[in-house]
Amino acid sequence: MLKGETIAQSDKAKSLMFRPFENLLARVSGKWRSLSNRPAASLIAFGLCIAPAQALDLTVGALLELTGPLSAGGPSGEKAAVLALKVANQAAKDAGVKATVSLAVADAQGDPQSALSAARTLVDRKASCILGPATTPEAITVLKGVTMQRKITLWPLASSTRLRTVEDGGTVFRTVPPDDLQAEALSSVMQKYIGGQKSVAIIYRNEPYGEALSKAFAINWKAGGGRLSAVISFDPQQEGLDSEAGQAVAGNPDAYLVIDYPETYAKLGAALARTGKFDPKKLFVADTLSFPTVPESIPAQSIDGAFGVVGGSPKGTGAYSHFGRLWKEAGGVDNASYTANIFDSAILCFLSAIRAGSSEPGRIRDNVRKVTEAGAPQFTFENLAAAIKVASTGREIDYVGVSGEFRFAPNGDTTSGLYDIFRYQNGRQIPVEQISVR
Amino acid sequence: MPSAFLTIRSCLLVLSLLLGGCLCALIALFGPTMALQATVNGLVAGSYFGIGAIGLTLVLGVLKIVNLAHGDFLVAGAYLVVLFLWLGAPMPLAIVCSLIGTAILALVTEKLVWRPLRSAGAGTLQLLLSAIGLSLIIRFSIQFFSGSQVRTLGTDVVTAISLWSLRIGVNQLTALMVGLGTMAIVGLTLRFTDVGKDMRAFASNRVLAEVSGINARRIIARTWILSGTLAAVAGIVYATTIGSFNPNFGLAILLSLFAAALLGGPGNIYGAMFGGLVIGLCQEWSTLFFSSRWKPMIGFVLLMPMLLFMPKGIFGRKERQT
Repeated sequence: MLKGETIAQSDKAKSLMFRPFENLLARVSGKWRSLSNRPAASLIAFGLCIAPAQALDLTVGALLELTGPLSAGGPSGEKAAVLALKVANQAAKDAGVKATVSLAVADAQGDPQSALSAARTLVDRKASCILGPATTPEAITVLKGVTMQRKITLWPLASSTRLRTVEDGGTVFRTVPPDDLQAEALSSVMQKYIGGQKSVAIIYRNEPYGEALSKAFAINWKAGGGRLSAVISFDPQQEGLDSEAGQAVAGNPDAYLVIDYPETYAKLGAALARTGKFDPKKLFVADTLSFPTVPESIPAQSIDGAFGVVGGSPKGTGAYSHFGRLWKEAGGVDNASYTANIFDSAILCFLSAIRAGSSEPGRIRDNVRKVTEAGAPQFTFENLAAAIKVASTGREIDYVGVSGEFRFAPNGDTTSGLYDIFRYQNGRQIPVEQISVR
Repeated sequence: MPSAFLTIRSCLLVLSLLLGGCLCALIALFGPTMALQATVNGLVAGSYFGIGAIGLTLVLGVLKIVNLAHGDFLVAGAYLVVLFLWLGAPMPLAIVCSLIGTAILALVTEKLVWRPLRSAGAGTLQLLLSAIGLSLIIRFSIQFFSGSQVRTLGTDVVTAISLWSLRIGVNQLTALMVGLGTMAIVGLTLRFTDVGKDMRAFASNRVLAEVSGINARRIIARTWILSGTLAAVAGIVYATTIGSFNPNFGLAILLSLFAAALLGGPGNIYGAMFGGLVIGLCQEWSTLFFSSRWKPMIGFVLLMPMLLFMPKGIFGRKERQT
């Protein structure tokens, strides 16, 4: 409003401005003439007129590890994102809501600077939310460098508790359970399979993920009466790991916990096997060493018979079976760990945008909790069209993903975790059981 | 020359005594098993550091080029073996082809990059930046053709033999012997053959060498061929002992190679050999005292006081005095 302009004059101006829309409505409703002088009515008319015509066009960015130390999970992650968007577009069509979602993919390369550069590319391609990256240093760099200031929600697969302590402006949401839950899962699995009061040698890569998970595990293990024979950290960039392997086996521990990536474990595993004292049946690995088939670079003598934990999805649900079917029908790469989480993250981003009625990143961020609201009507991706219909009216919903319910804590972490316990036999991952940790 | 040889010999003697003393102290502190196992691990690491550093210091000494692309020559050596194995060649043939291929690659860089830069009168900074550019070109070309995933040479990296209470992988033992043998052959070649003498003369004083009838172009070409071949040997030894690698390992190992070359004395072949072994031993011995996460730092911790007191490195200083 200009200085000195009266409210009446302002209302008149608005009325004139919206007249074409009013005229349009007047043809539809005979009652319009009596309302047309009111500014509020003008605004409603404006809204009603443009709402059906304005389609939501959302771009979801996927910052995946297509190359680098975690590249084993890159192709399956991309497939999960593609499937989610296919499902979302079909559901929007079925719901009669004009909304489309497209995918932009970039390679994080397992390196923070490369991830930042890739994230900038995604933002340039109008990504309103970003799925990934998979490591904590990458996630922190992307958060600080791009996403937080633009209010773009980040859905990292990184599970380190270090992410909790970083100021994120409410933009980080993790559908993967954080590592304090994984530490509990590892601890309880070890107690079950080797017994409590036993000695464990921890070998971890010296970075936030390895350090935080090893510390959390050590606290849990010692609290249960267990002992630590050695705690060994190593620089992932270093060449040989024979000294580290020698230190790990020196105390003849009852079990080994290895927190590592496949690429480095190819070196460490070979070094452990060379010691002649290492028994892979005593080995327990964390989620980053979960793969459907053991990569060729990892010697069988260093992993066959090992146990592991990885974030899982509730089996036996309709969504889980349907997701499995979709995956199979799509062909291509085998299903791998955390694909359900990527799928759910993409759907949650889409539903948040639908409820916000906008692809503006800040509005998506503000609606994430409204589409995972406890007590609201529950939907899965099997009835996603119905969820879209309800969310588009501005009502709250509770999307239950393939990977389970989402109850985001104020820091964006999920408050519970379901873990798959697996074992490697003859180069393949064999599921053993599931445990739930809170 | 005889006095220089004596100086090098006495320097070796002092260094060997020093390392022997350290080993005795470690045995006393940690027991023979732990100390000797760390020594074996250190010698294995030192073998690829040493061979890699010889190629690096050769170019530095003869051509006065800080070749930051040298680490990527190691990568090229390892990946050429992968390529020839994939083409169906048996391992020995694949290794020979890789040595030839990497030598050709090094020679091509001389023809396409270094010679034009020298002709244009490029300064140190320009040469340094060109080396970085070349390094990136080689690394990303390898990545483009082979992908960035982990590769192996398909050798048995697990089988190990026991020597008393010590364990050493069969591959590691082979690599150690190849490494030490290569160092000895290179050392003897440079000392007693005409090519070696010409190279050393060229490195010592280029103008004087050219005046005395040494063909500069031929020496430069041979230096690159030798440097490339040694880089390939180091790359293959690394790939065999570690078991797996990706196109970035050259960058990771480059700093250790420089540390070895500088520790021994820039441009000094014998210095580079022993610098490599010293770096390898000290890194592995350090794990007896500190967390192994600090291991890569140890080489540089050694290097800094060494450069303060002996800016020309251990062997460089002695040669200068003669």
